[in-house]
Amino acid sequence: MCEYCDKYGEGTLWYLNPKNYGRQLYRRRRPGYVPDAVSYRQQRDKLWTEYFEAVADEKENVEELRQELDSLVRSEEPCQVVPLNDCLQLVEIAQPIVSMSCICRKQMRAADERSPAEYTCTGLGVGMLKWERWPERYRGGVHFMSIDEAKEWLIRLDKKGMMHCVMVYGTSYGGRPFVGGLCNCDYPDCYEIRHRLDFNITHHLLKSHYVAMIDFELCNGCGICAQRCQFGALKMENSRGKANIDMLSCFGCGLCQTACPRSAITLVERETIPALKEEW
Amino acid sequence: MPAPKIAIDYDKCTTPFDCKKCLQICPQGVFWVLPVKNVKFQETDPKEPGAWKLTVQYRALCPNCGKCVEVCPVEAITITMNDKGKKR
Repeated sequence: MCEYCDKYGEGTLWYLNPKNYGRQLYRRRRPGYVPDAVSYRQQRDKLWTEYFEAVADEKENVEELRQELDSLVRSEEPCQVVPLNDCLQLVEIAQPIVSMSCICRKQMRAADERSPAEYTCTGLGVGMLKWERWPERYRGGVHFMSIDEAKEWLIRLDKKGMMHCVMVYGTSYGGRPFVGGLCNCDYPDCYEIRHRLDFNITHHLLKSHYVAMIDFELCNGCGICAQRCQFGALKMENSRGKANIDMLSCFGCGLCQTACPRSAITLVERETIPALKEEW
Repeated sequence: MPAPKIAIDYDKCTTPFDCKKCLQICPQGVFWVLPVKNVKFQETDPKEPGAWKLTVQYRALCPNCGKCVEVCPVEAITITMNDKGKKR
């Protein structure tokens, strides 16, 4: 059980618990909040710059900065990988659901997503009603979707090879996380994946509750899954002529599973693998 | 070994979001582009000089391949190897 299920799951996975989508959680101030104090974003941005520069120049305080940043992200803005199947359950309890332009792609590759056909990010919850009021700033604002449209949309992005993760805004607000986004990411234009893989900031992207396993007999080595792994965990193994997944590197996003034409890949619950139980 | 130093001449690079050549070509995704002029209820204009700023976010990942220097139409980017380190 991950630390968020432990605290906020109440018998289910934390992101499938409707209580974490409560409208009253949005924008709730944390106890002891001071209006003029340095905001989380300012703190985070400053730490990011310091940490990335420290890594580049190989300074001695790298590990210290990493831990500081990780604990800040842990309390305010953690993300977790969610496989498609769970996403399809998730959109049934999160309302409203919108598609909108992706801020990571905008910042990293100057992607200019201007219409629902181009949007690649999913927003959840009442916050979206506010975003809609700012159409100029947010590029035609947001595009509201029904549950069925949202499912179709997620399946379409999954086919394109994007993995999904839930984004949380303020786990300390009102004592609960508010699930506000469902990102559709790929490396390298997603900062969650990059910060985890390249800079080891764990809580920017926690592994999912699953891990992918290949049925040795069913896999015929077609290689369709090989190009979909964002984490470098899956590769075609020449000697066996089959795909192989490194379970320690697997984030359990299920991209390989949804692509396999022979259903040779299954997502196994992380809990059932003794040494991966506490690997997030 | 320490990563190369990347300098951006902001007098030359004025509309990075509109140009986006370096942002798109970088194999390592080292750059970020951020709006520095934020007016409430208004979209930051990609064509307005100085409204967006190109920053070097992930310098640690730069191998100094020189693609961004090559592609920049206004020659605003210079990369220098860090003296302390050996060849990367």
